[in-house]
Amino acid sequence: MNEADLKALWEVEKPIYAAWGGYVVERIIADMGDVGIDSNVVLKIKPVPRLKDANSLVDKALYRGKSYEDPYNEIEDKVGARFVVLLLKEIDQICEIINNCTNWRMDPCRHFAAEQKEEPLLFTYQSVHYILRPKDAIEYQGIKIPGTTTCEIQIRTLLQHAHAELTHDAIYKAKNNIRPEIHRTVAKTMALIETTDGFFKEVVEKLSSGPLDELGIMPRLDSIYQLLTGLDSHTQKSALIIWEVYEAFIDDQLVGNIQQYIDRTPALADIIRTRYPENVLYQQSTVLFLCWMLKKRKNRLLDLWPLSMDLLQPLAADIGVAINE
Amino acid sequence: MELVNLSVDRIIIHQVFKRDEEGKRVAPLQSHDFVNFDNSAMTAFKSRVINALGDNSGAAPMTIVNQGPTDVPTLVNVIVEQSDDDFAVSSFDFAEKLANAQLRRDLLGGILVIFTGNYGAPRKKYLGIIKAEIYSGYEVTRDPDTNEISLNYIEDLLLAPSSRMYKTAAFLSKSVDTDTPPDLNDKWSVLLSDFQMSTKAQYFHEGFLGCGHPETSARTTKQFYDSTRKFIRAMDVKPVEKNDLLNALTTYLKVDSSPTASVNDFATKYFNTDTQDQFGDYMDTAGIPRTAFTKDIVDIEKNLKTRKVKFKSNVNISAPSDAFKNLVVIEPIEGDPEENGTVPEWTRVIIKDSIVDQE
Repeated sequence: MNEADLKALWEVEKPIYAAWGGYVVERIIADMGDVGIDSNVVLKIKPVPRLKDANSLVDKALYRGKSYEDPYNEIEDKVGARFVVLLLKEIDQICEIINNCTNWRMDPCRHFAAEQKEEPLLFTYQSVHYILRPKDAIEYQGIKIPGTTTCEIQIRTLLQHAHAELTHDAIYKAKNNIRPEIHRTVAKTMALIETTDGFFKEVVEKLSSGPLDELGIMPRLDSIYQLLTGLDSHTQKSALIIWEVYEAFIDDQLVGNIQQYIDRTPALADIIRTRYPENVLYQQSTVLFLCWMLKKRKNRLLDLWPLSMDLLQPLAADIGVAINE
Repeated sequence: MELVNLSVDRIIIHQVFKRDEEGKRVAPLQSHDFVNFDNSAMTAFKSRVINALGDNSGAAPMTIVNQGPTDVPTLVNVIVEQSDDDFAVSSFDFAEKLANAQLRRDLLGGILVIFTGNYGAPRKKYLGIIKAEIYSGYEVTRDPDTNEISLNYIEDLLLAPSSRMYKTAAFLSKSVDTDTPPDLNDKWSVLLSDFQMSTKAQYFHEGFLGCGHPETSARTTKQFYDSTRKFIRAMDVKPVEKNDLLNALTTYLKVDSSPTASVNDFATKYFNTDTQDQFGDYMDTAGIPRTAFTKDIVDIEKNLKTRKVKFKSNVNISAPSDAFKNLVVIEPIEGDPEENGTVPEWTRVIIKDSIVDQE
C-alpha cells in the first residue's frame, strides 16, 4: 500500500473511526456516572476522540522505520481519546470501568505499573493504554462499525500528562540528537512526578480516613433518614464542618444511639418532613446526629458549634430542648 | 414530658396593670384579634417558649390545686376546645384572673400572651400562658440616604431572649382524649418557668394559675441527691475534687436560695462541659427528670446535716456540713517511700479549730 492508497482509504474510513471513538468516550463517561463518579469533576481535561492526521498516519506507516506488514490495520491509534485525572486511584477506577464493559474486546493493555515492575530502574513516560475493538459489529449514529475498528484510550494523571506533553513533542520528535543530561533531567522529572503522585495519594487517603468513613456513618445515617422520612438526604459541605468538629463523638455506638433516640421520638419524622422544603439542615441525615447531640451532648454541642446559632435554635425548639445560654 | 414538634395555632394578648397608688385593681385591657406572626417571628416565639419550658430549661412541673368552675385550670380545660371567636373572647378571663391575683402593689403589670396549639405524636393539645414584663430598650435605625446608623428609644419591649423577664406556663394535655376526668391532674400536666419562683412570685402559680408544688418533690430531691452522690463518687478525679463536689452538692440543695433544682443547673454550675453531658446521661438512666423540680430536702435533711470522709484504716472525719466546708481542708500529699520504693498517697487534714475534748 503506497502513500496515496493509504490516504484514500483513511479518507473513506474516517467517519467509522470517528463514530467508534465517540461511542467509546460516551460509554466510559456514562459508566462512570453509573458507579457514582462525576466525570465533570474527576476528568481534568474533557476527553474528545481525535482522528489521526493523514500525514502523520502516512509518516508512521511508511517512514518511521516500523516494520509493519499491514500498516493501515496494524496502526491502532487512528482514533484515540485521553482521560486525564488527578489521582492514581482514579486511573484504577476508569480501568475497572473499561475492563468491566462487555461491548468491546481489548488487547492486553499497557500499564505503567507493570512497566515499573519490569524496569524498576527506569523513569520514563507513564500512562495506561487500551486498544478497544467492538465485540461485534455495531451501528452508532447511523454508521456501521466493523469489529476490526480500533480506538486507543490513554488514562493518566495530570502530572503524567504534563510529562508526556513535554517529552512527546520536545524529545521524541526532536530533530537533533538529545544530549544525555537532557534525558537525565527528563528522567528526574518523572521520578519527581511519581513521588508527587504517591504523596497525593497519601494525602487523599489520610483526608478520607477518619472514624466517619471507617465506620460508614454517613451511608448508615442516610438510609435511616430515608426509612424514617421517605426523603433523600443531600449532604452539604456544612455537614462535613459539623462532623469534623464533633469527630470525638463518632464511635461504633453512635448510629445505634441515634436510632434509639429516633425510636423514642415518634414526632421526629413529621418535624423533618415539614421543614424539609424550606431548611437545608433538615435535608441532610446529619440532622439526626444533631438532634441526638441536642438531647444527649447538648453542652459540648453548644460549646463547639461551628455555624450560626440561628441554624441550631429552630431545631432545638422543634425537638423541645432549651438552649438559652 | 417532652415538648416535641410544638405548633402554635392561635395567639392573643391582653394587658394587665400594676395596682394604682391606692392599691386598687386596675381593669386589664382586652384585645380582640389574634396576633399574626410571620415565619421568623413565629420561629423566635417558639424558641422563647421551648427555652422557657423545654428539656434542660428551668421549668418545673406543678400540680393543679384549684379546680373550681372559675379557676384557671378549669378555664383552660374549657377554652382550649373553643372556636377561634369564643377563644378570643374568653381568653380575656385569664387577664381578669391575673389582675385579681396581683394583690400587692409592687407587682408589675405586663402583657399576658395566651396561645394554643399541639405537640408530640400523636398530636395533643396544649394551652400556654406568658406574663411578659414590659421594659425599655433601643433599636438600631439606619438612614436610607446617608447610611448612618443611630439608636431609637423604645418604651414597650417584651419577650427578649432571656427568660428572666417573663413567666411562662403551659397546660399540656396528657392524651388525645378530650373527656374531662374528676381530677384535672389526670388530664393536664402543668409546666411552669419562673425565674423568680420565690414567695414573692407565689401570686402567679398559686393565686393565678391555681397550682402548687407536686407532693413528689421530696422524693425527686432525694433521688437527685442519691444519684448525684453516686455519680461524683464514681468520677475519675482526685479525692480532693470529689470532696469539693460533694460539698457543692450539699450547698446546692441546702443553702442555695433558688427554690428549684435541676440536673442541668447543677451540672453547669459545677462540672466541665463533657462531665455535664455525662452527668445528664447518667441522670437520664437513673430516671431523674430533665425539667427542674421544687427542692424539698425533708427526706435528706440528716444526710445534708453532716459530711463524712472515711479512710481505709477506719479513720473517720465527720462534721456539720457548714463547718466541714468552711473549716476542714483536705489535700493529698506524698507519703514516706515504702521499702519497695513506691510512694503512698497520704492525706493532710487541716481543721481550723482547736481540740476541746477527746476520748
